[in-house]
Amino acid sequence: MKRYEMIVIGAGPAGLSAAIEAAQSGLEVVVFDENEWPGGQLFKQIHKFFGSREHQARTRGVKIGQNLLEAARGIGVKVVLGATVLGIYKNKEIAVRLEGEVRNCKADAIVIATGASENMMTFDGWTLPGVMGAGAAQTLMNLHGVRPGKKILMVGSGNVGLVVSFQLKQAGCDVVAVVDAAARIGGYGVHAAKLARTGVPFYTSHTVVKAVGAEKVEGAVIAEVGADFTPIPGTEMPLDIDTVCIAVGLSPMSQLADNAGAELVYDPAKGGYVAALTDEGETSVKGLFCAGDVAGIEEASSAMIQGKIAAAAAARDLGYITAADFETKAFGYKESLAKIRAGMFAPGNKGRTDIVQTDEGYPLSESLLARGFLSDAEAAAFPAAGIGGGGGGPRPVIECTQNIPCDPCQDVCPKGCILVGDNITALPQIAGEKACSGCALCVGACSGQAIFLVNETYEDGYGTVGLPYEFVPLPQKGDKGRALGRDGGELCGAEVVEVRAGAAMDKTPMVVMKVPVSEIARARFFRPESEGGI
Amino acid sequence: MRIEKHPIIDDYGKGRLVCFSYNGDEAMGYEGEPVAAALKAMGVDTHRYTVKRHEPRGIFCAIGRCTDCVMIVDGVPNVRTCMTPLAEGMAVETQDGLRKAGEAHEAL
Amino acid sequence: MAVMVRVKNDAPFAAQPDDDMVVCRCEEVTKGEIRKALHDGVCTFGEVKRFLRCGMGLCQGQTCQRLVLGIISRELGLPVSGLGHITGRMPVRPVIMEELGKSTEESKEA
Repeated sequence: MKRYEMIVIGAGPAGLSAAIEAAQSGLEVVVFDENEWPGGQLFKQIHKFFGSREHQARTRGVKIGQNLLEAARGIGVKVVLGATVLGIYKNKEIAVRLEGEVRNCKADAIVIATGASENMMTFDGWTLPGVMGAGAAQTLMNLHGVRPGKKILMVGSGNVGLVVSFQLKQAGCDVVAVVDAAARIGGYGVHAAKLARTGVPFYTSHTVVKAVGAEKVEGAVIAEVGADFTPIPGTEMPLDIDTVCIAVGLSPMSQLADNAGAELVYDPAKGGYVAALTDEGETSVKGLFCAGDVAGIEEASSAMIQGKIAAAAAARDLGYITAADFETKAFGYKESLAKIRAGMFAPGNKGRTDIVQTDEGYPLSESLLARGFLSDAEAAAFPAAGIGGGGGGPRPVIECTQNIPCDPCQDVCPKGCILVGDNITALPQIAGEKACSGCALCVGACSGQAIFLVNETYEDGYGTVGLPYEFVPLPQKGDKGRALGRDGGELCGAEVVEVRAGAAMDKTPMVVMKVPVSEIARARFFRPESEGGI
Repeated sequence: MRIEKHPIIDDYGKGRLVCFSYNGDEAMGYEGEPVAAALKAMGVDTHRYTVKRHEPRGIFCAIGRCTDCVMIVDGVPNVRTCMTPLAEGMAVETQDGLRKAGEAHEAL
Repeated sequence: MAVMVRVKNDAPFAAQPDDDMVVCRCEEVTKGEIRKALHDGVCTFGEVKRFLRCGMGLCQGQTCQRLVLGIISRELGLPVSGLGHITGRMPVRPVIMEELGKSTEESKEA
């Protein structure tokens, strides 16, 4: 029987990171993935990641996936695709289906990095074609270039629901509504805000009660829910949609760990049944590790670090690195993990609804939590979001009002005029009125697309607002249209006076629109005159 | 349903355009893309009808986990079309229960 | 592992408007069938599975496990943590018998 030093199951962020780490320590590693395409879910993450430079913040998931694959191949990791692991027997023996037969092989260490499956909810018509997981929609459009539908209802406002809704708009779909049974939007406020300003309505305390259609979805009915999360009769509202996307959380795929004899525990904060793990990611079976979403639902950045920790522990156990080397590595990895697990959206805060202010003591925007956008008055109250009485020239207005682990704005500003500090969940602050050179790097770097360059002295009576614009067609200088508010409502006429789309912006161009000075504190999106869309 | 122009993605890395058959009719798709993607691009939503209730099903998870998108591919039933790369000349058929549409069911 | 205590909902089974809702998509098991079984005395996920086949289809419970656990929990007034889960068994993914039959111990490079 073929024997490997390490077998990794799943070629996603956790699995590839584990494989690279192990190979760097000298282990012979093979990665099995059942898909014909490697990368797990990374290659459909076309948005920029949060975190710090060490977490590859402001790099798009798809690019991180390419980097991981290259690194894995470069160091001699064997990635076998179309290889479905069917079971793990005693003594770390694995049955894998490959090329039309089942083969058995054995490993000294196994890292299970099988990720998660999407949670579902039942409602009338939920089995109809056209009802699908939000991840399914993302796979179709971002990996395969096919729209899942034309008019979409998104159910669930966690980060998956918000990110996929935005990507649906980028793919040219109409997101008719985002509903969530909870009274608060579950994901990052910045993700909600970038959707809301394009005109997508949020219905919190609402759920989908019905998908209508005989052969496929032809419409849906949503309704308000009461405190017990059941629909309130009489509040039903029909929606003209052809696709329902479900984004109500993920569950770890613990079957293989269970099959291998690892002890499972039920942990709602981790998404359900997960293998009981040491802080090195080892299960109750010696030499069997879990990393990434299968170890508890988080996101790709922490999955990558978990993969490294597990692989380093395996390398130590197999005698490839010393215990002291391991401690040094693990210390760094765990610090990095702690950084990204901080803030109000940290795994430990999952489901909490009692957070009412930021770490700095600013009251959270109720409007952002309930409707997806900051009210004008609330925006003005945050340290970097207010327009204030600044002098001439452009300067950043940062509508970042929740403690999320992220600091690219501070990282890219060449003038040092944006301050987050070492604690990357802190709200950014503007340091020094005059420092901004208008380079717009922060606009392109902000993974939440929450930074605007505002200049109130552009022309007599007119100012400009520079905004991130990740849609096609990209407006051109001279284009006329409407300026939209944070809620997506039309405010006034606007003209594009500049577009910044160079390589440094990494496909987040800045569109600068001219608006009356009275509107620069409110105008946050541009809708071209000729376009009905976006 | 194909995305012609995307603000972030320049290239989906598609293979060449090939012919396959869908329920006996000629169809086109890109070699190597999942069969389910090629069908979605053509506007096909229903992949199969269920055994007991004879209800339509289509793409649900798109990553091989739910197995709702199974069809008969080259005569083999229960093939997950979201995981199966399209190949030239492939015969893809709507699955009815555990069989081809119209074929007699044996007792289940 | 906690010692399992058998719990039964002794109240007479009362129909609910959404009893016809499919919960297990693969085996087409409805909410009403699951609820009925719970009133008849089954009380863990494993028992529901053996009794009604939900979770035994092609997806092996990946879609319905959570939904079924929720129904059991509500119907019997028990926390989900005590209801057990689907046992992970080889094969955890669908595989055709012919391929299983070709299984080679002495293998080519996997």
